[in-house]
Amino acid sequence: MVEVKNLTKHYGHVTAVHDLSFEIRDNEILGFLGPNGAGKSTTMNIIAGYLPTSAGAVSVCGHDIKEDARAAKRCIGYLPEIPPLYPDMRVEEYLRYCAGIKGIRRGEVKKEVERVMKRLQLTDMRRRLIANLSKGYKQRVGLAQALIGDPKLLILDEPTVGLDPTQVSELRKFIKELGREHSVILSSHILGEISAVCDRVIIINKGELCAMDTIENLERRMAGGAVLSITVEGDQLDVSLVLTEIDGVEEVLDVDIIDDNTSVFKVQLSDENARQRIMSAMVENHFGVVEMSMDKPDLEKVFLDITGKKK
Amino acid sequence: MFSLYKKELQSFFFSPFAYVLTALFMLIFGFAFVNRIASMESSVLQFSFPDMFYNNFFYFIFIIPLLTMRSFADERRGGTEVQLLTSPLTVTQIVLAKFFAIVTVFLFMIALSLFFPIFVSFNGTVIWSSLICGYASFFLWGLVCIALGMLFSSMQSSPIIAAIIGEIVMEGFLFLDQFGATKMVQSYPKLNSVVTWFSMQRRFVFFAQGMFRLEDLVFFLSLTVLVLFWIVLHIEKRRWSHR
Repeated sequence: MVEVKNLTKHYGHVTAVHDLSFEIRDNEILGFLGPNGAGKSTTMNIIAGYLPTSAGAVSVCGHDIKEDARAAKRCIGYLPEIPPLYPDMRVEEYLRYCAGIKGIRRGEVKKEVERVMKRLQLTDMRRRLIANLSKGYKQRVGLAQALIGDPKLLILDEPTVGLDPTQVSELRKFIKELGREHSVILSSHILGEISAVCDRVIIINKGELCAMDTIENLERRMAGGAVLSITVEGDQLDVSLVLTEIDGVEEVLDVDIIDDNTSVFKVQLSDENARQRIMSAMVENHFGVVEMSMDKPDLEKVFLDITGKKK
Repeated sequence: MFSLYKKELQSFFFSPFAYVLTALFMLIFGFAFVNRIASMESSVLQFSFPDMFYNNFFYFIFIIPLLTMRSFADERRGGTEVQLLTSPLTVTQIVLAKFFAIVTVFLFMIALSLFFPIFVSFNGTVIWSSLICGYASFFLWGLVCIALGMLFSSMQSSPIIAAIIGEIVMEGFLFLDQFGATKMVQSYPKLNSVVTWFSMQRRFVFFAQGMFRLEDLVFFLSLTVLVLFWIVLHIEKRRWSHR
């Protein structure tokens, strides 16, 4: 569907994207994750054909974005960070215009605009001026514009920014539905969004690829370094000493004192099976275990860990 | 390409923009017309319009940049430029669609100004040959101004600054007219030939006499095409050095 090979982009002396290679399969939702300024928008702008590459190649549906730009652009629906709307146009009028510049045949424009408006529930808003729409509706019109012409690839640059929680969850559901018929690239710096919607994730930081995998794999990758949180009755120092001597315990990360005799210990494990040994060690030393739980590493941790390493 | 042309036209005619500018244009034309009539010596209304056209050029400088200032600057500011450049349209098509839309508005203004010669023809004599040539030169010069105005708009994200730069450059053209007539320039034949090549007044004299020279047609059209091509190059260039 989309192939990105050794993509590099310089802005003057600044390298925004460095040697990025990945591919997007058919009907897949690919999450594009990275802190602000990581090069997400630049990469998306390049794939959409807005910015040229400094080096490397991008092909969309088998068409090179540089050599065969027109054919490639026909396969793409792009919703930039700021939806490209004309405030002085009406919704329907605007969508008709979009259909026109996307090269939809005259006779099919009406049908196509109706289809997209129905899909995004904009039919009641068709006569409204875009300037008078709420943020949520503006975003919908932006998405409608990307969907016109039924492009195989949808590029959505932070589509949920500035929406209220109901709208966000609606939009996520909608994007998930889109993933059945289209390939979608979704960028975000919100991790929950990516893990809720995407099949695969690419994490980039400072223009470089940090990780590319499915969400399950990324989480599994971090499982070795699981964190156990254990609430124990007993002297903090003694408990700490006992804990650090157990096989499979890396270190005690944090101690949270609840009262004189009770504390919560965060323990970094190198081996998940150390739990039993900890339990028996506590019993042997007559410490009362009040509570014990595993902190499952979520995408957030993976993300912080991966992007943190690069710094 | 037609959809973009249509959208551009709508943005002029579905807003007060085109009408206010046309009103201004008509007002200027009307004042010049009234002055002409008031200063006539014979009682017969025999009218040669080209002089009036030339006087109008000065005001023209203020109208055309207002017409062109939004063409690219607004797209850039509103973030809609991304949509245009990621659509299957080529940059050349985008530039041409916008150019033709503004030319259409310009033609609308010119068409309304026909009111004056028609008014005269009822009450006197209009020298039609010089009128037609006057309109032709007015139109051709307008094309150059529109292309220039669009160029500055493509360089700016602020329409107002684009308009002001356009005005400055067009003032420069007018200045060349007077500068070419100075003794200093005339004493250097080579400099003189360059300056007068760009001088509007010199070309205008021929049109005023009802003479439609191929040389002038080529001058205006090639200058327009050159500037339009420059706009295409500039937009492409900006994509490469985008920050």
